[in-house]
Amino acid sequence: MGKTLYLLSSGSLKRKDNTLFVERVGEKPRFLPVETTDEIMVMGELDLNKSLLEFLTQKQIILHFFNYHGYYAGTYYPREHMNSGAVILAQAAHYTDEARRHKLASTLIVGAIENMRKVVAYYQRRASLDVEDILSDLERFEAMAPQSGSVPALMGIEGNARNRYYQFFDRLVQDEAFKMVERTRRPPSNRMNALISFLNSMCYILALSQIYRTHLDPRIGFLHETNFRRFSLNLDLAEIFKPILVDRLIFSLVNRREIQEKHFEKETGGGIYLNDRGREIVLRAWETRVNETIEHPRLKRNVSYRGLMRMEAYKIQKHILDDTPYDPFVSRW
Amino acid sequence: MFSELVKVNGYLVQAFSICRRQVWLLARGVTAEQSNESLALGRLVDQNSYARERHQVGFGDNKFDFVQGADGELVVCEVKKSSRAERSARLQLAHYLYDLQKAGIEARGVLMFPTEKKRVEVELTDALKAELDCVYAEIESLAQRNVPPPAEHCKYCGKCAYAEYCWG
Ligand code: SF4
Repeated sequence: MGKTLYLLSSGSLKRKDNTLFVERVGEKPRFLPVETTDEIMVMGELDLNKSLLEFLTQKQIILHFFNYHGYYAGTYYPREHMNSGAVILAQAAHYTDEARRHKLASTLIVGAIENMRKVVAYYQRRASLDVEDILSDLERFEAMAPQSGSVPALMGIEGNARNRYYQFFDRLVQDEAFKMVERTRRPPSNRMNALISFLNSMCYILALSQIYRTHLDPRIGFLHETNFRRFSLNLDLAEIFKPILVDRLIFSLVNRREIQEKHFEKETGGGIYLNDRGREIVLRAWETRVNETIEHPRLKRNVSYRGLMRMEAYKIQKHILDDTPYDPFVSRW
Repeated sequence: MFSELVKVNGYLVQAFSICRRQVWLLARGVTAEQSNESLALGRLVDQNSYARERHQVGFGDNKFDFVQGADGELVVCEVKKSSRAERSARLQLAHYLYDLQKAGIEARGVLMFPTEKKRVEVELTDALKAELDCVYAEIESLAQRNVPPPAEHCKYCGKCAYAEYCWG
């Protein structure tokens, strides 16, 4: 499977014959293997031109851009290389059919909440935390989802479940410097919120890159409203994996003190962000995490979390093609 | 809902003898992840063997691996990375020969397995033609189905590019 390339410092990216060539200040210029690169994450400033973009299109490489604060800015999503009229038609038809859309959206939420419960239960055992109240509320929300009347109602349930779930963060994390108190997004008001925002966006991007490997259109989500100007299917997909990938990674980074107060900066606008060093630590940990493999029971092969994300996208595709009903991935731990 | 007419090509004929589900997926344009290792190996064998004589020839909806003509005789060759699926490879080649015959061109076929240094001659017999006619009809009706045949484990799944798709 292809690799992800992180360009953390500023420089230029060029096409040189049939390879990619990156030049950065204070570093030796180097060639990048184009056949094994799937996506490039651009964090610093980058000079590029159209001939590079054409080359990336030809090689089916996606570019993701981040702003100065590490906020996701956008994606260069090369023209679809996988075309199947049958899949696009099925996806659009599935979206416009209220009942079928609701069914799929509620399955996604059930899967997401189940994974939240797995995370809470895991730390309940390990750290003997008192979290029964949170667990039982999550169970209640999970049961409500399929019964809800509409997709907006489902979103409400999802929001409530997530708020309740976030209360567990402050019970688990003892370090005062990493208390969340409440979830704030734009801008993140403290370190925990900054970590969550940054890693959530990595999860959305991972999902987007894997959707690119399928025939699905990332603009048509089922849980998240489609407006055709933005990607939304990747948000749906990420719901399933956020608890397992993002949240557990945060706990391990904070509890092992790999991420500390000194890795954050306050901005004039009032927000708190990871600084360069902090971002690098988090990205390294993230890359290791998504490449970790587990044995897949049905495929009978080791699959990385990145691969699992791709297979999850395939499962959605199979669902809308009336092939196999979608059954979300639920962590065993 | 599916109005595009399926064009029976060599891929479909080959897939047919491997797995019905694969035929449906291929017919709908649902392709598999190309970075699957065994597919990549297939491409590599394809690119490096018989480099001198190889030509890619398009004919109708087919693409022949290469065509050799000695003494005015036409020979269609199909290069495969292993003889694991020899039966299906024979059928695929016979399909090419049949298509050529329908256009008034007589040809002989040879299957080549470079990694095994093996060659197999394929002749278009009446029996093979009858078999192919059945195959075409079945492919057409398979492709018309709204739902793909469910995945069933077979000996090809382990190496199939659709494995992640079917067994996820
Ligand atoms: S994985 Fe198995 S069932 Fe799926 S298409 Fe391949 S051979 Fe058929």
